[in-house]
Amino acid sequence: MGVIEARDVTRRYGEGGAAVDALRGISLDVAAGQFAAVMGPSGSGKSTLMHILAGLDRPTSGTVAIDGTEITGLNDKQLTLLRRHNIGFVFQFFNLLPTLTAEENILLPLQIAGSKPEHEWVESVIERVGLGDRRRHRPAELSGGQQQRVAIARALVSRPTVIFADEPTGNLDSATGAEILAVLREAVDTYQQTTVMVTHDAGAAAIADRALFLADGLIVRDAPCKDAGDIMAILADLSAR
Amino acid sequence: MTRYALRSMASHKLRTALTAIAIVLGTAMMAGTFVITDQIRNAFSDIFGTSFAGTDVYLSRRPAFGNGTGGAQVGPLPASLIGRVRAIDGVSKADGQIQAIGSLVVHGKYLSSQGGAPNLVVSTLPKPFNENTLVDGHYPNGPNQVALIQQTADDHDLKVGQHVGLTTLQGVKPVTIVGVFQFGDVSSIGGSTIIATTFSDAQRWYDRVGKTSTISVDGEPGISPAALKRRIGAQLPHWVKVQTGTEAAKEQTDEISGAINSFFTPALLAFAGAAVLVGAFVIFNTFSITVAQRMREFAMLRTIGAMRRQVLSTVLGEALMVGVMASVIGILAGVGFAKLLGALFKAIGFGLPLAGISVHAWPGVIVPLAVGVLVTLAASFAPARRATRVPPIAALREGAVLPRTWLSRFTPYIAGLALLAGILLVFQGVTGSGPTTQRLLTIAGGAILSFIGLAMVSRYLIRPLARAIGWPLSIGRGASGRLARENTTRNTGRTAVTAAALMIGIGLVVFFSVLINGFKQSFIGSIDESITSNLIIQSHSQGNPVPEDAVRAAQGVPGVDTALGVAFTQVKIGHGGTDAANGIDPATLPRLYKFQWQKGGSDALLGRLHGDDALVEEQFAKSHHLAPGDTFQVTSIDGRHVTMHEIGQYKDPVLFSGFMVSRGTYSELTTDHNPQVLLVRYASGTDENATTRAVRQALKPFPDVNVQTNSEFKDSFSKQINQLLYLLYILLAMSVVISLFGIVNTLALSVFERTREIGMLRAIGTTRFQLRQTILYESVITAIIGGILGIVIGVVLAWVVSLGFRSSGIVFAIPYGQVIVSLIVAAIAGAVAAAFPARRAARLNVLEALQYE
Ligand SMILES: Nc1ncnc2c1ncn2[C@@H]1O[C@H](COP(=O)(O)OP(=O)(O)O)[C@@H](O)[C@H]1O
Ligand SMILES: [Mg+2]
Repeated sequence: MGVIEARDVTRRYGEGGAAVDALRGISLDVAAGQFAAVMGPSGSGKSTLMHILAGLDRPTSGTVAIDGTEITGLNDKQLTLLRRHNIGFVFQFFNLLPTLTAEENILLPLQIAGSKPEHEWVESVIERVGLGDRRRHRPAELSGGQQQRVAIARALVSRPTVIFADEPTGNLDSATGAEILAVLREAVDTYQQTTVMVTHDAGAAAIADRALFLADGLIVRDAPCKDAGDIMAILADLSAR
Repeated sequence: MTRYALRSMASHKLRTALTAIAIVLGTAMMAGTFVITDQIRNAFSDIFGTSFAGTDVYLSRRPAFGNGTGGAQVGPLPASLIGRVRAIDGVSKADGQIQAIGSLVVHGKYLSSQGGAPNLVVSTLPKPFNENTLVDGHYPNGPNQVALIQQTADDHDLKVGQHVGLTTLQGVKPVTIVGVFQFGDVSSIGGSTIIATTFSDAQRWYDRVGKTSTISVDGEPGISPAALKRRIGAQLPHWVKVQTGTEAAKEQTDEISGAINSFFTPALLAFAGAAVLVGAFVIFNTFSITVAQRMREFAMLRTIGAMRRQVLSTVLGEALMVGVMASVIGILAGVGFAKLLGALFKAIGFGLPLAGISVHAWPGVIVPLAVGVLVTLAASFAPARRATRVPPIAALREGAVLPRTWLSRFTPYIAGLALLAGILLVFQGVTGSGPTTQRLLTIAGGAILSFIGLAMVSRYLIRPLARAIGWPLSIGRGASGRLARENTTRNTGRTAVTAAALMIGIGLVVFFSVLINGFKQSFIGSIDESITSNLIIQSHSQGNPVPEDAVRAAQGVPGVDTALGVAFTQVKIGHGGTDAANGIDPATLPRLYKFQWQKGGSDALLGRLHGDDALVEEQFAKSHHLAPGDTFQVTSIDGRHVTMHEIGQYKDPVLFSGFMVSRGTYSELTTDHNPQVLLVRYASGTDENATTRAVRQALKPFPDVNVQTNSEFKDSFSKQINQLLYLLYILLAMSVVISLFGIVNTLALSVFERTREIGMLRAIGTTRFQLRQTILYESVITAIIGGILGIVIGVVLAWVVSLGFRSSGIVFAIPYGQVIVSLIVAAIAGAVAAAFPARRAARLNVLEALQYE
């Protein structure tokens, strides 16, 4: 039993001869508190899978359940509420609102949900991601790394069932990327936060508990992570075949 | 580059369309103005052409002042002139005609004309002067016979043989309808009722015994009208105006044209101008936004070798095409607008005869086209210049910003100066001397400058205003209000210009509301303060007097203490302009009117008012430098000179401007001594309602007389003023509508710009409804900012203008109700404008939006 349960998920784009099968039958479970990395070459279906698991897109066939709720049959409104309460996002390009301060950006999901922020919880999250002294700054006054910290705090603040992170370090230099990964890892450990991260960087995947390898819309390997070298080896093995 | 500009337009059809509409509506108003004024001119030209078609020479009284023929005011000619003219060699025929005001009474009901057109009574002229065409029966040839114009007969279902009444200065006369005619070959002249009688009936009934209004002359074959005119003129005194029929037709047509050209056309064009100005703001804003959004594109053009000039011409080329396209559509739509205006005027009781629609290149096509294209180009020039300053490197970098120019440091000061200078110009125009046209142009220029100045200043007010207006939206739960508030302050320049476009429309609405309210309050206030009568009685027909017999009838009603006729007419003062001469009865006026005595004036003095004595209004004394004891010259419209002697001064610039003389002296100054207004006061202790009923009963024989209590009179006055105001509102609605498209355009472009942000918001749990709400609030906040700015500038300008009218007794009074309504209208406009962009935003696909670049 996982907080995410996907069964035989397929996704086809377009029709007829021009149709592309982005996902060709994927089943997976992610357990509560687990940090899973999704790896694979470009075009293997990572983003598509993540979008379907997060309720942003619908599978062509198959089912997805989040925290026991079957989501493939939900309408737009229900999906929106699911995302609001059960899902957090960290994007490659941060996607912060330029008009809001760091703190306001972090509180945005609570605002949208119309729920009152618990002061201590919010403080702990801001502290955790290391933004204590920058909370009054606007995104334009923050570095890329700081912006991504804001994004992580924003994902954490509503205590979602799962956080999805799509290439969270893709737009950062490697040193900053490493910092961000450390922040993510720490958050997962501190809050037992289930997290799924899409990446094509072996170094990034190495901090996860488990790595799923995608190729041509199928899971070709599902292994616990030890270190970057180990993952590189798996990648090399996969590409050799 | 032209092809590039065309492509760009085609790929942004919606943006192009919304931008074009801003100019289409303004140019449509302009073109429509030219069309309808042309229609009116042509209609009158046709009417007068028909009237004088069979007349070789035309005789009337020469007015002593004014350029006009002045209608009945000018006074009649002695009827003996007809015989003298007939005796002149070369005259084959000469006949007199009486023109008066009156209408039929059918089953006790007074038949009014349509849409405020006049109720005319004319005596029948024989052939060849009579250009009417009989449709039924015959022309009156005996006593108590009338013929009607076809429209009047049709409208009221009147038939030959029917017995009806005709209002005259001697009460209602029983008449029989003996004929129905058309004027030339048309059934109506702009909705006027026209009743034809015999010459002798008209003389008796309309106080013209031994007199005639005009004389029409037909020459013997072989003598030209011009020669005959000279011959007749040589034998008649100078106060007889002798014209050929053609000259008379031309003069009367020109008089109407003059009124149209000097008032009607400029007034309508001013509203069209306001619409065009609003359009300019919308275009400026749209081009500014799109230039900002296309920065990468321009940078790319520069990297591949495009010159700055080429970038400039890309943007200006697009503007040129939008301008031409929009103006052409506008000119075509102008015909529709002209029809709308015609219907509108008729609806508010301002019916005018309209000839068929014809569109002339000058000015109907060329002016709107030139204005539309030039305004579009001018408004897009600054954004186009900005586009040229995009550095090529911006193609490679995300979020590059344009360098600020050195000029931009001074913008706030320039803006503030423009605002102040604009207001001062308006003040200068109102209070300054000089020709009216020049002063009006100064006022208009000042208003435009102050609008532009405030638009520029408002950029610095957006933050505090948005914070204040958005505050109620941001309290409580919900992110929509807060996000909306932040969005309005995101690009203050953009919000400022969007709001400013609405500001102009609302500003003008408020400006006119305040001014007109001041006028209304002054008039009603003066009546409340000074008039102590119970009834205020006037004719239903504008400008028609109340018969002296009606005054006597009212006086005879038990319970009536005083029935006093007040007469007034225009006279020429010295060698200068004209002013009002008021004929009053000094013995009874104080019982109905409270004087505000000034220098040397007192109720006792009133008792000594006789002969050439005059009481003068304070302003009149000021402008003619008069003190008690001084004398001044007046000339009546029929050329009589009288020297008046000032004995004292009073103050009432609203009800009794000019000067007061006794009714006896007044008859020296006028051609019609009947009063215009009848004031009735009841004896104390009488039952008001019963007495009012009794007066109504006693005045039954004068059905064109409108018996109103003071409050009824004030109400109907307010109603008339409000109708004028509604007309102004409708004309200004166009400006508001254009600014609405401006809001739609800005929001749509902003939504497009924030696509990825919207995707993010949706991803983290914002519902479609919340998203719509955010955009709705953003729009409403922007619109309310526009409304507030408009109210401020409208009130300020109205106050400045009212300063100039203070001496005429016009007060400055803000109609708070109307001001609040205009703010609500602004908010509603904002809500309406949000509908489309909000729907667009809500329908965005979350995934596509997130991946949008
Ligand atoms: N909206 C779409 N329409 C059509 N094809 C798409 C769309 N999105 C993704 N694809 C295709 O689906 C496959 C998987 O894409 P994606 O999930 O983005 O892979 P990844 O994130 O691993 O690079 C690719 O072949 C891609 O071209
Ligand atoms: Mg991807």
